[in-house]
Amino acid sequence: MAANNPETLQIHRIPQSTYIDAVRWLPPLSVFERFILLAVSDSNSDASLLEIRALNRSNPSILTPLSSLQLASRTSSLKVCQTPHKPLIAASSFSGSVRFLFVDNVEVGFDGSEHIVPEKSLHVGPISCIDLGGNELECVSVGEDGRVGLVSVGEGELSVRKVFDSAGLVSYSAVKWASPTEFVTGGLGFSVQWWDLRKPGAAVSQFKGNWDQGASSGIVHSIDIHPSRKHTCLAGGSSGTVFTWDIRWPQQPIVLSGAGQDAASARSLSASEVWEVQYDTFTRSSNHRISSTRVLPVMMCSEDGILAVTEEGEEPIELLVEPCAINCFDIDRQNPSDVICSMEWESVAILSRA
Amino acid sequence: MPGVASNSDDLALIPHSPTNSHTIALHHTVKPPISRLSIAWARGNSLRVAVIRKPQAGESDDEPGGQVVEVKLGVDEADIYEAQWRRIAYGSVTPFAVLQSRKNLNTNAYNADLPAYVIEYSREINSLLGNQKVLPDPVIEDPKTVLQRVDEPTFSKAAWELMEIFFADKQSDGWIPERLVDWLSDYDNLIHGEQPTIYSRLVDFQTELVNLQAVEEDPKYWDVLSAALAVGWLDIVVKLLRLHSSYQHNQIGSRETENGLVETVVVLVSKMPRLRPNLSAGKLGECFDNKPDFVKAWEKWRGQITKLDCSAFWLQCGHQDTREGLKKLLQIMLGNASVLSATTFHWVELFIGHFLYIRPFTVGMESMYNLAQKCMQFKPGSSPHKLMELLNGILGENTEVVLAECSRSFGSWMITHAIELLTAGSTQADILLHEERNNLGGICIEELHRLVYAQVLSSHALTWQIAPIYLASCKKQGMGLLEILLYKQPVGHNQVLLKNIEICRMYELDNVGANAMKIAGVHHWKHGKKGSGVFWLQQAQDEFRLNRIAQQLFDFVGKSVSDESFKQWEGLIELLGSQSKAAGGLDFLHKYRDFKRSLQQVTDIACIDAARKASEALILLMKNPSTPQRFWLSLLYDSVKLLNWKERTLLNVPQTNLLLNKLQELSMARLRPDFIEADLPPQALSSVRLALATNLGRAILEE
Repeated sequence: MAANNPETLQIHRIPQSTYIDAVRWLPPLSVFERFILLAVSDSNSDASLLEIRALNRSNPSILTPLSSLQLASRTSSLKVCQTPHKPLIAASSFSGSVRFLFVDNVEVGFDGSEHIVPEKSLHVGPISCIDLGGNELECVSVGEDGRVGLVSVGEGELSVRKVFDSAGLVSYSAVKWASPTEFVTGGLGFSVQWWDLRKPGAAVSQFKGNWDQGASSGIVHSIDIHPSRKHTCLAGGSSGTVFTWDIRWPQQPIVLSGAGQDAASARSLSASEVWEVQYDTFTRSSNHRISSTRVLPVMMCSEDGILAVTEEGEEPIELLVEPCAINCFDIDRQNPSDVICSMEWESVAILSRA
Repeated sequence: MPGVASNSDDLALIPHSPTNSHTIALHHTVKPPISRLSIAWARGNSLRVAVIRKPQAGESDDEPGGQVVEVKLGVDEADIYEAQWRRIAYGSVTPFAVLQSRKNLNTNAYNADLPAYVIEYSREINSLLGNQKVLPDPVIEDPKTVLQRVDEPTFSKAAWELMEIFFADKQSDGWIPERLVDWLSDYDNLIHGEQPTIYSRLVDFQTELVNLQAVEEDPKYWDVLSAALAVGWLDIVVKLLRLHSSYQHNQIGSRETENGLVETVVVLVSKMPRLRPNLSAGKLGECFDNKPDFVKAWEKWRGQITKLDCSAFWLQCGHQDTREGLKKLLQIMLGNASVLSATTFHWVELFIGHFLYIRPFTVGMESMYNLAQKCMQFKPGSSPHKLMELLNGILGENTEVVLAECSRSFGSWMITHAIELLTAGSTQADILLHEERNNLGGICIEELHRLVYAQVLSSHALTWQIAPIYLASCKKQGMGLLEILLYKQPVGHNQVLLKNIEICRMYELDNVGANAMKIAGVHHWKHGKKGSGVFWLQQAQDEFRLNRIAQQLFDFVGKSVSDESFKQWEGLIELLGSQSKAAGGLDFLHKYRDFKRSLQQVTDIACIDAARKASEALILLMKNPSTPQRFWLSLLYDSVKLLNWKERTLLNVPQTNLLLNKLQELSMARLRPDFIEADLPPQALSSVRLALATNLGRAILEE
């Protein structure tokens, strides 16, 4: 596979002077520059900021600050979505608020209009994850308080409603839209829930693999769903675990890494928390017979400093091995060869694959 | 030192004087009257001040009763400096850890590769302290720019390189003098205090240079030339000499001899033999990596200088300043001690001049030290300077002085990392640093400094997670302090907890990890996050606490569980699992859910399979010792319709007897004072009794 060759992989490490909570690519707004959204927290001033930075195409080791916005609390989850007019940013906080912002297309920066779901109106305590999508630009949010919220981002006002409230009997840690009316959540004990807004009241389907044997259980930290395979959800979590769950075969997860039950088929890339997983649209599947049961290549980053691409039954490709945790990464939708990731030791890395 | 308190100022460790005091404004939003202030240390260099007000009568409860404010002390440190410091701290983790693991590989046998590892380590650390990269040259080179523009060098880097030269770099032991020449050319700008240095003179002269028509007319020109030559900055000397106006086209005819002399000196300067393997680009001289070749070249070069010195051309040179200036340069190259002393400013500059022109073969610390002492006598009055104190300690082979200087001037990061160089440098230092000392509580000096550095790291929210690397390298106290550090982390925050557990996993502190999970479990449980509480207690396999919270959960279930709200419980029940032993009686909920579910499916007579399943679940529940007694009656009451099943009996004689026994047991238990009455209609007991009796009768008949 192409990315295995170090000559075709360019890495630019850019040290920052603040801790990076989250990092995302912004959709392309200019021919000459690329734009990056960073959620940072400054330990000196205890300030949390949202920043738009420009990345020079010819010299990707310089990030020029363009626009920045002070936040009241640290960012727990950050999502970007292209709307017909301008990109929409949603940022959730550890204090339980969600902030919606639009990016100005012309003078790249925050356009001044913002909507806030205040603390305690939707969630009490930290929001663990949000996702943008749904029927007409909706933001689904999950929290440690066991609530599932839905915010419709219209032109003017936000409309907020609670989809489910477990009253703390469970906590959710990840969420992802599957279709305009369906979404998937993940939580403690590697549990994954499938929800359908047309069938309110409870999750439609529950998955909790039989992890009790051998390795101890863990938490799902991140979920992704490929737009062409909405029946399968990809999840990453504790103990280096990356697995997929197909709702058509609800009892059997396909383990891509970690939680070593079937050590032969699933090589463990990492032994600690997998913080984020995304389908890697750049790495082409080595198996040319594309079958719908085969899992597409997956990128993951972990607490023990690994950024890697893994595929069912293949040798994983390590893109980056760092001495500190890689907390977050994002694959550029328009340019899937480019990846940005943020490191625990106050730096970001930009990887370009060829 | 804690516990040392005194009433008199004489005994105070840090004498307090009112002139030293510093006022920091405290910003809070608490309305007066303020009744109490409570002050405590927060992380790092900040204080946590709680401002508490006295509640006034007749006020609404909305008014906050107080506020906690964090006050940063020492805010005058620049932000970027802090970030820069953290970058160095992060960057030094890997080289340090790699070196430790290499040293630990074979502790007994002599590690032949160790010097190579140490120099690799030293280079990596050195590169963190800033690269002396020359800024890109301007497109049109300015001939009058004599000094190259470099990034501002740092004291730490200068100190590190000094230690690298003497302790780590064994390969270049033979050319320490030349390395010192390089060192001074990089850092001469750092050592000036009240007294000028050659570098500062050069900088001054460069600003004047633009306005000078004929440089050789200015006595300063010759001064800086000889000064630069004295410390071996040959490239600068040549560049300056070429500015001599005899090179200009309109003058070359009339000043041919003069120009010839200048150019001959230029050639001699650039051909100076150097006892070193190579030179970096742009530097001048001819390198010799062995002594005999060097001696030969040196003699020849000296011969050429002497020959030029006695040449008849000087008489033909009309320009007096040029003649005298060039002669002075020749004297320096011939090693005239008094000229050298007159042209240099700082003792270290004179020291370097001696190496270059008088004693190029100086080896051994003792001779270097004596030379340094001599130079200091010639150039007294240099104000104390941290780099010079350090150099003094190194030359005097006094490890204690080096340690003290490192610690005093450069802080705990420097000393912790420099000790690796010191121990590699000499056996004596190695013994001194590794000797266990009673006055330090049985630890050695090396460990002491690592512990101090780890403490500094622990005090910052972003660097505490690299402290374990240093603590783990401390044999005696390290693990104990690591445990304390881990226990101090707030576990309510999932990210911190997971980091904590990860560190425990890496250092095999399973017990500490389990305790953190238990604390987190109880924390979440208390804050109403029941699922998280159960999850972490399960992870910690804490049966005791699981049993305790199980009782509370049952109370909650007993009150709230209706068929509707079971949907809420679904997630938690899934989490509890069906057979996990660590659930501490909580597996009851799982079976209860199964029973309720099958009971719900029993809607009419046709659902015989569901009814059979429900009755099996009922027997399982009643047989299970973990089923709490207070649920027995509600379970039986729920299953009255199973007992009264029209078609046939669902429970046989022994099963019915079991249920009857349980009912009997329950009646006995009701007499006890701590019995909790189930929330059921008053006729529940009698209807269950009746149904059971009927069922028993039918079952006997059927058999």
